[in-house]
Amino acid sequence: MNRICFHFQISQPFRLRTYRFFDINQNHDYFDDYQNHYLAQRLAERCYLPANKMMLELIRKHPKSFKLSFSIAGSSIMLFKNYCPEVIESFKELIATGCVEITGNTFTHSIASLHGKDAFLEQVHLQEKLLKETFGVKPVSFCNTEVIYSDEIGEWLGEAGYEVVLTEGARHILGWKSPQYLYCNPYQTDVRLLLRSYRLCDDVTLRFNDHSWDQYPLTAEKYIKFLDSTNTSGDAPFINLYWDYETIGEHYTADTGIFDFFRNLIDQLSANPNYSFITPKEVLKMDDNPATMHAPWPISCSGEEKDTNEWVGNVLQQEAFNQLFKLEPLYKKSKNKEAKLSWLRLQGADHFNFMSSKWFGHRFVKRNFEVYPSPYQAFINYMNVLNDIKIQLEKK
Amino acid sequence: MFGWEFPPHISGGLGTACYGLTKGLALNGVDVTFVMPHASGDEDEHYVKIRNASDVEIDTSSVTYREHIFPGVSYIQVNSRLVPYVGLEGYYNVIDQMSSGTLEQEFTGSRRKHTFSSGYGKNLMQEVNLYAQVAAEIAKSEEFDLIHAHDWLTYRAGIAAKRVSGKPLVVHIHATEYDRSGEHNRNDIVYGMEREGMMAADAVCAVSDLTRNIVIEKYGIPAHKVFTLHNAVVPTDKKVEREKNVDEKIVTFLGRVTFQKGPDYFVETAKRVLDKDPNVRFVLAGDGDMMQHVIERVAELGISDRFHFTGFLRGADIDKMFGMSDVYVMPSISEPFGISPLEAMRAKVPVVISKQSGVAEVLQHAIKVDFWDIDATADAIYGLLHYPALSKLFADKGEEEVNNLKWENVAKKLKVIYEKTLHYE
Repeated sequence: MNRICFHFQISQPFRLRTYRFFDINQNHDYFDDYQNHYLAQRLAERCYLPANKMMLELIRKHPKSFKLSFSIAGSSIMLFKNYCPEVIESFKELIATGCVEITGNTFTHSIASLHGKDAFLEQVHLQEKLLKETFGVKPVSFCNTEVIYSDEIGEWLGEAGYEVVLTEGARHILGWKSPQYLYCNPYQTDVRLLLRSYRLCDDVTLRFNDHSWDQYPLTAEKYIKFLDSTNTSGDAPFINLYWDYETIGEHYTADTGIFDFFRNLIDQLSANPNYSFITPKEVLKMDDNPATMHAPWPISCSGEEKDTNEWVGNVLQQEAFNQLFKLEPLYKKSKNKEAKLSWLRLQGADHFNFMSSKWFGHRFVKRNFEVYPSPYQAFINYMNVLNDIKIQLEKK
Repeated sequence: MFGWEFPPHISGGLGTACYGLTKGLALNGVDVTFVMPHASGDEDEHYVKIRNASDVEIDTSSVTYREHIFPGVSYIQVNSRLVPYVGLEGYYNVIDQMSSGTLEQEFTGSRRKHTFSSGYGKNLMQEVNLYAQVAAEIAKSEEFDLIHAHDWLTYRAGIAAKRVSGKPLVVHIHATEYDRSGEHNRNDIVYGMEREGMMAADAVCAVSDLTRNIVIEKYGIPAHKVFTLHNAVVPTDKKVEREKNVDEKIVTFLGRVTFQKGPDYFVETAKRVLDKDPNVRFVLAGDGDMMQHVIERVAELGISDRFHFTGFLRGADIDKMFGMSDVYVMPSISEPFGISPLEAMRAKVPVVISKQSGVAEVLQHAIKVDFWDIDATADAIYGLLHYPALSKLFADKGEEEVNNLKWENVAKKLKVIYEKTLHYE
């Protein structure tokens, strides 16, 4: 029996507007409301609403069989609340079926876990609060921004009460081991790890519409054959598939057949006796004895390297990152709610992604919307905003 | 190849390009006979007659000098008053100055002084046609497969050589009349000669996609025979020393102070930056017909204490200027290529360049803005001055990037264009 875990990640950042240096200490309006509104609505129409509708139908069609989980960044929840509350309602409907698990994650799609425990747990707790308020749920599983994970991050999460963590089945960490088993953190053995089978995910994310791929077109039947072939001996029980939810309808628009692909896939897997769907927290009920997995350095789902260079790889990113977290003590002291929220939002992975000089070469990860003409302009804009936030946080 | 300037008398982009290209071609196994007009004052000492020119029935102004410079390249100088980089008006200026006995030529890079013994100017057309006659004679006596002519004053020479020899002609566009004079002040004589050359040519090389588009759209040249061939950089060992004697950061504009180069945008940008941060000095290095306007505007904005004029800089002073600069700005309104940002980058100075320049097409490690977007330019300057991580990255990557722009590679592309052209014939 193969246990199959479908997990979808949802995040769009609060995009920055063009913020010039002469705005510093003049104007504290950092975010591009028009773009944020536009993007949230566009994604809602193309992806979240139709995809949620499809998932709901499938849950009803396959009762007790089809289950799935989501991680929804706090920044996205806030965008939905502001601009398209119907998305929130449709998630509530999904959660009400009992077949949908909402995992914990960060409040602003933050990369604070690369900085330190305090900043990270602040994000985690704020997100818990928001999930409680919005959906009335308390997560026990956790899916970090871009599934960033290390031994240390796992420990922090253990202390924060999480029992399952979703991360990447990074080959350089696993070596000969397979991502299709349950693992645990070496220092907090109560923290179980579900590792993503990224090749299988990439077959959809990167290759679904790739006409030059020898397996094109990808059908549900073909994909199930891929799944079958990963477990010929029958004792590698977990297939963990995590995708950006935007894959359905945005990265691949409806006319590519992406909706039909997922619908058929879920129909067929639900009917297939070799497979059963699980959500992350269900592993807690299983008796499997997990082996430990060491991740001394942070891993993520980025590119082929599965490291964190996409966000803190070049000197610009490192500088912005260091300057950002230098303000942590000010954040703790300040009473300026707006500036504090802005500081949290500036931790968003996307801001750093825009400064990536991977931009210069071949883009591996498909970026949704280009915002800046170059990483340099992204950096300048970011630093201008950060400078103003600093001034606002310093003010009594 | 009908080109301009050769060492040691290189004064600007066109000469550098001709030199780099010739050298690059030689490295790619292409033999070049380089023909150029020579308007230097020392022609009496250096000029000798072509030995086998007894059958050339032209007057003494066509005396030429020939020399082998490096393997594969031979070099013929033709005594002519043609000078590079000018439109019609510029040419008459030059002629006027020649009449008064001295000529001062101003280029982006440096200033040259020529002294002429013959005291009167000639009609440009006569000069161009005379040069074409010499070209035809040279074409008769030389062995070659293909003709390559640089910049509009030599196109007639190229056409003449083509007519005599029946060999294909490639013309090279370093600037168009639209760049020199703008959309509305186009000189029809110059435009006509440029177009004549492009039409007669079997292939047209443009120094950027920007220029290529102008050639196709404004000159009506069929796109299939127009190729983009970006410029490169001649490697040098000289290191520019970073040396500064003021505490403030320095932002530099270096170039002709003419409409085309956008100096007024530089002034407005300076005002934006200084409003926020008075600890910056702006330097405008160069001279030109907009100088008065610029000085007045600086005074009007009340930033004279932070805005400096150096006048025209040459040679070592340019290096010194780069050595002092923290940011180099090129806000050109229209720049077919624009070699000076590359020199700044080589001196480890971060650059902000206008998107309306050909060089923007080849650079990654430069901030590119629209020339009219003063806010964006100011923001880029401020960012480079205040966020050290940024300027450091620029300094390192920029130098590396420039050193990778090699004429050898450009010549390799040119060779392919040559081969295509020859195949068509």
